[in-house]
Amino acid sequence: MDHSIMIICEQSEGRILPVTYELLACAARIGGFYNSSITAVLPGNTPDTDAISGADLLVINSPGLAEYTAEGWEKAALLAAGELKPNIIIIAHTSTGYDYAPRVAALLDGSCITSVSGIELSDGSIRYRRSGFHGKLDMLYKEGKQPLVITVLPGAFPAYDQQAAPGMVRYMNADIQPVHTSNVHFSISDQSNTELEHAEVVIAAGKGIGKAENLELIREMAACFNRSAIAGSRVACDNGWLEYNAQVGLTGKKVSPQLYVACGISGSMQHIAGMKDSKTVVSINRDPDAAIFKNSDICIIEDLEKFIPAFIREAEKHHEGRV
Amino acid sequence: MKILVCIKQVPDQESRITVDPEKAWAGYAENASYWINRYDEHAVEAALQIREKLPGTMIDIVSIGPARVKAAIRRCMEMGADQGFHLRYEHEDYLSPSIKSRLIAEFCRDRDYDLILTGVMSEDMMSGQTGPMTAARLGIPSAASVMKLEVDLEKQCLYVERELDAGHRCFMELKLPALAAVQSGINRPRYPSLSNVMRAKSTEIEEISYDDSLLDAKYETVEKVLEAGSDRAGLTLQGSTAEKAAALWQLLHERSLI
Ligand SMILES: Cc1cc2nc3c(=O)[nH]c(=O)nc-3n(C[C@H](O)[C@H](O)[C@H](O)COP(=O)(O)OP(=O)(O)OC[C@H]3O[C@@H](n4cnc5c(N)ncnc54)[C@H](O)[C@@H]3O)c2cc1C
Ligand SMILES: Nc1ncnc2c1ncn2[C@@H]1O[C@H](COP(=O)(O)O)[C@@H](O)[C@H]1O
Repeated sequence: MDHSIMIICEQSEGRILPVTYELLACAARIGGFYNSSITAVLPGNTPDTDAISGADLLVINSPGLAEYTAEGWEKAALLAAGELKPNIIIIAHTSTGYDYAPRVAALLDGSCITSVSGIELSDGSIRYRRSGFHGKLDMLYKEGKQPLVITVLPGAFPAYDQQAAPGMVRYMNADIQPVHTSNVHFSISDQSNTELEHAEVVIAAGKGIGKAENLELIREMAACFNRSAIAGSRVACDNGWLEYNAQVGLTGKKVSPQLYVACGISGSMQHIAGMKDSKTVVSINRDPDAAIFKNSDICIIEDLEKFIPAFIREAEKHHEGRV
Repeated sequence: MKILVCIKQVPDQESRITVDPEKAWAGYAENASYWINRYDEHAVEAALQIREKLPGTMIDIVSIGPARVKAAIRRCMEMGADQGFHLRYEHEDYLSPSIKSRLIAEFCRDRDYDLILTGVMSEDMMSGQTGPMTAARLGIPSAASVMKLEVDLEKQCLYVERELDAGHRCFMELKLPALAAVQSGINRPRYPSLSNVMRAKSTEIEEISYDDSLLDAKYETVEKVLEAGSDRAGLTLQGSTAEKAAALWQLLHERSLI
């Protein structure tokens, strides 16, 4: 086979994480098109690793890879690329992936497409889909110079069959030591917010509420529902309107209430990642083209400062039995 | 200490965009307004805060783009940056981060920056590539999604806190020179002061020429721009504000949500 695809496993302390199987699914789709060989690469300090289903595994093994550093991962990727001569390198678009993947592309002087959400095969060609223009439009990319490095959004591809036959495991002992990076350590945040986690109705505020005082509107709207809680976009939290433990999204909470009401939220993919499993989504936004409307069951094109008071009046009318 | 902040000017996200089926790019309305990429404003603020702790620090701004980006560069100088540099690129089309990072790396070559700051991503393209790629081309370390920065000149290192998924953090030290791609939440960008506005008025923004052949490199291209896929039915309510409010109550009531 002339065409080769290399994926870099997502791992935590040597344990391969499930998102790796999504990368394999993406590789299988592209590989089906080019008839490629597919190899998974695991950087780490793991001399003893289980095989993975559906692909051969190349373990780049070095004490300097015991924990993630961009430097270490980039060196491991270059080493593996030297061995496998990949046409395409697939990496997860996670906080580690977007830290080092563009570096790998630059050092190999290849092309790079980040946060890929889909692959389109048509007319004998392959296109990579990703979101842009504040999430309002999608773009279809054509690959350029090889190797092509892509980072794939978690959740974009259904995980590859984990029952498939395990591949072979090969070890490459290396001496990789980060020289520019030191004193690395990690912290686990405790950002629990039980009210939000258990709420059946979430009323979420975005930058579009404009000012802290308008949070009162959000609270009053929440009070119209039982078992409700308020939440916010990252910008609402950055502005200090809400605590960070109320942030919904990629770097915040994942919620899946019966009802999610997005008020003045544009609908960037980082926010959608945290609420897309909600049963019913209602959005209030004054921009008719806002991306959030693509992810909503009920769309309300209105200024929230006018609409929310109107809705509260409506709810009060019913509550008082005036209708 | 010399700091470079890379900034991009982006269209106001409420500006109307139109997709021209003939072109592989989407156009913003003539009257679209532009601002500094929000993440880059945080990067400028981070540089200013470092200078407050380390007097004598010089802060340069660089931006690639058409004539209009001068306004964004000027705004950074009004916030307090010392010098502005403009790499003219007239086209409103897709410019690969691979090319942008080569242009910026080339610009940095003999300027001896100790620290380069970028945003974690641009609001319109959301690629998050330009920063880490620039660092890789210069052979210096980088960290993306940075929530805290401190310079230790004695140790010649940069202490950074990175935001990981689900709010976890990673702490580390990078040897200077280094690049940090900053995340929102790192600080609150200041408003320009009157004295800086006056000073910025009289400071030239220098246009930097570059090797045009860098633009010809065959990296990935955007072939088509299309409507974002839709995951939900998307019923748009019609009528007056009060009618929409009544309709929403009714729909939620039918679904036993209120
Ligand atoms: C690595 C990374 C991780 C991230 N993680 C998260 C995350 O976990 N969660 C998250 O939310 N974001 C996250 N973001 C940020 C994300 O990309 C967006 O910047 C953010 O979600 C935008 O917040 P917003 O929608 O409130 O603000 P904006 O994008 O500014 O949108 C405001 C919206 O309000 C509308 N509006 C304005 N005024 C009114 C009005 N009066 N009435 C009605 N509508 C109005 C506007 O039309 C606009 O659509 C992350 C970004 C990065 C780079
Ligand atoms: N045209 C540009 N000129 C200068 N810096 C840029 C430009 N485009 C992107 N950058 C920098 O790179 C960061 C990431 O942008 P992007 O790779 O487009 O997501 C931005 O936050 C800027 O700091």
